Amino acid sequence: MGGKPACTLGEVKNRADLIIYWGGNPAECHPRHFTKYTLTPKGKFTPNGRKDRTMVLVDIRETPSARAADIFLQIRPGRDFEVLTALRAIIKDQPVDPERVAQTGLTLDQLRDLAGRMKRARFGVMFFGMGLTMTRGKYMNSSAILTLAAELNAFTKFIAMPMRGHGNVTGADTVLRWTTGYPFGVCFNRGYPRYNPGEFSTIDLLVRGDVDAVLVVGADPAATMPQPAIEHLKRVPTIVLDPKVSTTMRIARVGILTAATGISAGGTVYRMDEVPIPLRPALRSPYPTDEEVLRRIRQTLAARTDE
Amino acid sequence: MAGIITLTLRETPHVPLEAEVICPDVLAGKSREEIQALPVFLGKRTRRLGDFFEVEVDGDGEEVHLRGDLRKVRWIGRGMTRGRVVIHGDVGMHLGAFMRGGTIEVFGNASDWLGAEMTGGQIYVHGNAGGQVGAGYRGSPVGMQGGTILIEGSAGPEVGMRLRRGLIAVGGSVGDFAGLHMQGGTIFLLGAVGIRTGAWMVRGTIVVFRPIALLPTFLYACTYRPTFLRLYFRYLQTLGFPIPPEALEGAYHRYTGDTAVPGKGEILQWAPDA
Repeated sequence: MGGKPACTLGEVKNRADLIIYWGGNPAECHPRHFTKYTLTPKGKFTPNGRKDRTMVLVDIRETPSARAADIFLQIRPGRDFEVLTALRAIIKDQPVDPERVAQTGLTLDQLRDLAGRMKRARFGVMFFGMGLTMTRGKYMNSSAILTLAAELNAFTKFIAMPMRGHGNVTGADTVLRWTTGYPFGVCFNRGYPRYNPGEFSTIDLLVRGDVDAVLVVGADPAATMPQPAIEHLKRVPTIVLDPKVSTTMRIARVGILTAATGISAGGTVYRMDEVPIPLRPALRSPYPTDEEVLRRIRQTLAARTDE
Repeated sequence: MAGIITLTLRETPHVPLEAEVICPDVLAGKSREEIQALPVFLGKRTRRLGDFFEVEVDGDGEEVHLRGDLRKVRWIGRGMTRGRVVIHGDVGMHLGAFMRGGTIEVFGNASDWLGAEMTGGQIYVHGNAGGQVGAGYRGSPVGMQGGTILIEGSAGPEVGMRLRRGLIAVGGSVGDFAGLHMQGGTIFLLGAVGIRTGAWMVRGTIVVFRPIALLPTFLYACTYRPTFLRLYFRYLQTLGFPIPPEALEGAYHRYTGDTAVPGKGEILQWAPDA
């Protein structure tokens, strides 16, 4: 386990000469990524912009992002972990089985070429998307790419960064991390934080029916989670805070409309590289902010004496 | 010491009940009233063991029998060093985690994290188990470091994750990533095996009896008839674990890996015709 080698997007812009997108489609999902940070901008150590950089796209199909890439590597669905593990062996000059490498959709020569480019790069970055993190293997796929990046630091500067989306998810991870030491899946029932994804992560708690009340803030689980989890949301008292009437709010016991963050509510959001960005509201909202609602719920609970 | 403590769960709790006090080290020598007063955690609230369980004490024994639907009861036998726990029915997560000695027998199904980070003792499950059997907790460098876990049925993903020492045998199928990051010890997988078995293993032995999709970082070494396996099978038979008689015969393909680490672990695949 190699930890999480990270940097800011400003460093990527100024230094990175090898950009690898893995299991993501930034041309359509993060349309400003190429032009603001990774490909075209001219940086301090990348004065010629696009000409100073090599872009590799690893994905299961040729998405519009492939047009921007110098090298497109098409792998078979669900073989990311195998490719990443083989790359870990190849960068250390360890042998791998060529036939089983070929089952991933890539040849050993392609992987050797990629490993060579990684080791020769002055500053390499791997951006990984949901095509990696949400397919079979899940967190172990993320672990594989982070470990590969950590091990590449024996040869050159290399980092791996998840392509986050959906508003302030990075902020939730970051704040939980500096308050409890853990990024998600944290349980407080014994009075101190405990971390165990699979036991305390939301989908698992809901599918097993381990919770008897749910508070949803700025998320829409009923639109994305598996059906057994949604059934449990319907069974227990569910309270939803959202700027709009979301799918979850329709099935919830209580829905509270709140001001939209960044439009009518201020605060801090974390960019995908975990740089905090302050927001000033541009408009006024008739609704309270999420923070106000949570504060008032907490005050009311603290005033009650019966448990 | 003779005598049995019997705990019967009255009704299934609606949220998880964390009851690490259900452990021979804690219960032995206590009276019925003392056992009833022991603390358990229902969600975030502290309750008495007697609020959930009928307690019968016969002598001052180190044998604990549990009855009822215990699927939401977690951490039974945590860190136990002696005695015996017998569970009649299904049981929840973390059974026998950190255990150092004694035995646990489950006449039913167990859940995730069975025997996680145990260092000694024996767990026998007659039904199925969940994932992370004998594993190391998240962030922990090593998993199980000794003892024996025997599962007659199937198990979930990450069986023996970061196993350092000890024996795990699964009669039925297992999920993906069996022996993930394993650093020693032995895993027997008699049923169907998921993908990515032995991923990132450093040391240790995984014995499989069904066709297996190996990672590209495992390399064929040889086909041979290892003598130590026959000793292992005899040992498993003395523990009452069903071993198909044909497994005692036949050769094994040996694959080494995981070269990504790089590791010196081995996967032995049964090859009856070789």
